[in-house]
Amino acid sequence: MESFFVRYRNLVVLLAILLAQIIGLAVQVRRTSEGRSTLDPSDGPGVRLIRLWAQGVVTPPEMIIHASKTGSRGLWQNYLDLRSVRQQNQELQKTIDRLRLEQAALLEDARQGQRLQALANFQQKYIYQTVAAQAIGSSGSEQSHVFYIDKGSAEGLNRDDAVITADGIVGKVRDVFPHTAQVLAVNDQTSGAGVILETTRTRGILRGNAAGQLEIVDILADKRIQKGEIVLTAGGDQIFPRGLPVGVVENVVPDPERDSFIDVIVTPAAHLDRLDEVLVVTSTQPRFSPEQQQDLATSEALKGSEAAAIKEQKKASEIMAERLPGLVDPNLPPDQQPLHDSSNPTPVAHPPQALHPDRFTPGNAPDAASEATPEALPHAKAPAVPDSVTQPKPKTPVVKPSGTPSTTVGKPTSKPAQPKQTGPQTGKPPTNQPQKAQPGGNT
Amino acid sequence: MPLLGDDRRNPEIRRYPILAYALVPLAALVLQAWLPRVLGRFAWFDLPLVVTVYFALDRRSPIQGTLMGAAMGLFEDALSHHAIGINGVAKTVAGFLAASIGVRVDVENHTIRLVLNFLLSLLSSGIVVFVSRFLLGLDLEWRWYTSIYAAIGNSLIAVVLFPLLDRLQIRE
Repeated sequence: MESFFVRYRNLVVLLAILLAQIIGLAVQVRRTSEGRSTLDPSDGPGVRLIRLWAQGVVTPPEMIIHASKTGSRGLWQNYLDLRSVRQQNQELQKTIDRLRLEQAALLEDARQGQRLQALANFQQKYIYQTVAAQAIGSSGSEQSHVFYIDKGSAEGLNRDDAVITADGIVGKVRDVFPHTAQVLAVNDQTSGAGVILETTRTRGILRGNAAGQLEIVDILADKRIQKGEIVLTAGGDQIFPRGLPVGVVENVVPDPERDSFIDVIVTPAAHLDRLDEVLVVTSTQPRFSPEQQQDLATSEALKGSEAAAIKEQKKASEIMAERLPGLVDPNLPPDQQPLHDSSNPTPVAHPPQALHPDRFTPGNAPDAASEATPEALPHAKAPAVPDSVTQPKPKTPVVKPSGTPSTTVGKPTSKPAQPKQTGPQTGKPPTNQPQKAQPGGNT
Repeated sequence: MPLLGDDRRNPEIRRYPILAYALVPLAALVLQAWLPRVLGRFAWFDLPLVVTVYFALDRRSPIQGTLMGAAMGLFEDALSHHAIGINGVAKTVAGFLAASIGVRVDVENHTIRLVLNFLLSLLSSGIVVFVSRFLLGLDLEWRWYTSIYAAIGNSLIAVVLFPLLDRLQIRE
């Protein structure tokens, strides 16, 4: 037995390793309810640990390469710039053609700046919360369209976050590590996104094919779908926000497996093969600009002040409702009524005392029988009081203590400029003019 | 130069510094993960496979070739989103076969290296498709010509890379 293992140890080791890997594969694959085999989208702890180790080994060198590439490119560009500036300084003195060369170089830089500015502007205008990230590596396998970015859970990234650029959608976060994340591109065969054709409003599922192209599947044959039609995200997949550009229709081919269905090949809007900067949508909660936030705060403040004003009016009306019945208290003598209070800024006018009592004077009213006799009529026609008393007088301005001119009707006074005294007065009812409250009085 | 080695002489087992065993495969894995970002869809090569074949051929030990192939394949799988073990199985077989063949052929010959890399690349791709589709029953679309391109790319890289790696070996 021992000699068998010694003699065939190479084969034994080979078979043992193959068997172990096949068992490991069998653990990772599960069968769906439709009877199809599929990979478990959420890795088990052991598998995730292996991925974490592999990613931890490969990512640091990748980051170094990325950083050194950027640094060397900067150094080289600086060197070239210095050389070109020197040459341009010499050539500018000679001919104007050199000026054109410099202009062309600057135009190239401006285009690069515009591209970066466009991404920055897109991030600022984008209503959702995003995190900018750099693509640092890929899976290295043609069958696996995944790439790695330099942001992870420490920066707030989560699994299934959408990854986009200013041009269009890119993919979704498949796995998150502390400082890196694995992104599954939309052109992978296992990816899926709900999309809608802009003109025909046809909905479908976007996925990748074996050639790494984007295709929309599960669409019934429709002649209206033409080349060049814009494809947008439909928003129903809970990953990509609605309305983001996906690409344009490149071609429409019949589904090889189903007769009445077609596959729509889509040219991606984002450059999936050459990704540098991407945005990860970390939250779909609206993120407003400072101006929008200020507008919102102003609106809230106005709404609050209106509510406070309405509340104040209600409170004032309630106070008035409580006080109005108390203006005349039947339980108090007339001289102790609230209206008799000298502090009341709006005194009630009283009729003047008559100079001579007449039949209108209280207690002197004739009885009905004497009123009915003809003799009584001439007496009745006699003037009861002088015209100067009964006739209303012209309005005379009265200076109040507060200094506010006011008008009143009543008995003429010898000192019209004196402060108006409270008490029985003639004239019109209280006005609505603003009155200054007397100290200690009721208002 | 004869293509087949002399059975009567002991096959030369080449030795390398420990760092070479660690850094060369690591460099292959890192470059395999990074270069497709630069080359896009034209990254038709599999550097971990090339390195596996190189060490398996020169070490002439099927067990070491098997272990190295398994490690490289599992590492590649771990970087992808596929099941861990698909490339592992493929490169395990490739490493074993390369080491077994290395005992019998002259590994210095460029033609041998080119043909071996081409055939082992095709075999590796075939095993990946076989394991994915038939063993696991996964829906994996596959285009045969991309495997041909990758095999050609691996062969060309091997012709250039193997002499460079030969310089790392310890000469007594």
